[in-house]
Amino acid sequence: MSSPDLAVPGLAQSPADIVNSQSVARCWRHGLIDATTGHDGTFLLHTAARAALHVRRGRLARGAGYSAAPPAARRELARFGAQLVLRTRGLYHVHAAGVVAPDGRAWLLAGESGCGKSTIAYALTRAGWRVLGEDGVLLQRMDDCLIAHAWRDTLQVSIELAEYFPELRSQRAMVNWLDPRHRVPITPPGMQRAPIAALVFLNRARHDAITPLPETVALSMLVRQSSTVLLSDTCAAAHLAALRELVMRVPRFLLAHSAHQLHHAHETLLEQAR
Amino acid sequence: MRYRVSGDALTATLSDGAVLLNLHSKRYFSLNETGTRVWGLLEQDAELDDIVRMLTGEYDVAESDARRAVMALVAELLAEGLVVGASG
Repeated sequence: MSSPDLAVPGLAQSPADIVNSQSVARCWRHGLIDATTGHDGTFLLHTAARAALHVRRGRLARGAGYSAAPPAARRELARFGAQLVLRTRGLYHVHAAGVVAPDGRAWLLAGESGCGKSTIAYALTRAGWRVLGEDGVLLQRMDDCLIAHAWRDTLQVSIELAEYFPELRSQRAMVNWLDPRHRVPITPPGMQRAPIAALVFLNRARHDAITPLPETVALSMLVRQSSTVLLSDTCAAAHLAALRELVMRVPRFLLAHSAHQLHHAHETLLEQAR
Repeated sequence: MRYRVSGDALTATLSDGAVLLNLHSKRYFSLNETGTRVWGLLEQDAELDDIVRMLTGEYDVAESDARRAVMALVAELLAEGLVVGASG
């Protein structure tokens, strides 16, 4: 028999600030958006633009300041509102890049901002993989598998990677030089949906290593990455159940990657699938 | 002494432990296998003494050590609002 260790390991930092925790209403903050859940749905407020959007009975309704808000703020609100509407329909946003291998199965690449999701996704497209999403996919539970649906954003790849991907040199005119990462938008071949093969958390490193991840670690990391699961509307339990099913049904890996993986990621991943 | 799981808590039980969410504080936690076993008993409104008995029955541990470990875990869960004290 083993001795009990009842410590709470991996007590993680909250991905969202605690806001108004004394209030009866449940408030959640992500970036510049506050979300307050009440009996009448969820009220979204863009705190910089002072623009509001309501999610009621599975529909979006413009609130005060929305029409006059800058396009970027409206886009951010609409994008988040759409995630909440879709989760009422059993489609759960996962903050991960989704790429589909030549065998038709999707690999989800998750991790903190800057961990290399877009870079590795782009590297895989050069080996014939297709993209479901750069910064998110929609997870759907089916009877016999889990499906990742496209949540399409333009793939953003740093021009600094032209050293490894020479074709980027012809894209210099497209670089957003205001972006600290000097990224260029790429539109690779896409797909609409695919069954999920595996979940991979990325971490930049000097040396390459791919290791299996325990379920609790993977789910904790997934919750951290997909913090809408913490929004306390009526779908929170189903959202958590979907993420749980994901980590229980597919293999989970941590890929520490160096520049070597820019040309070998497809081999590294598919080797794990064998 | 009896505790009950807070209405703000959501649980995902896995083969190697559990992940708990507090929808009020927007924080999340992970429990190892033994912690998950204790959590499962708290969900069933078990008395603290029953939980300690379970641990001493299933693990090679002294009653005093088991009680100390359970109290420490419950104190942490209380501080995080994942359980609340219950009468009876």
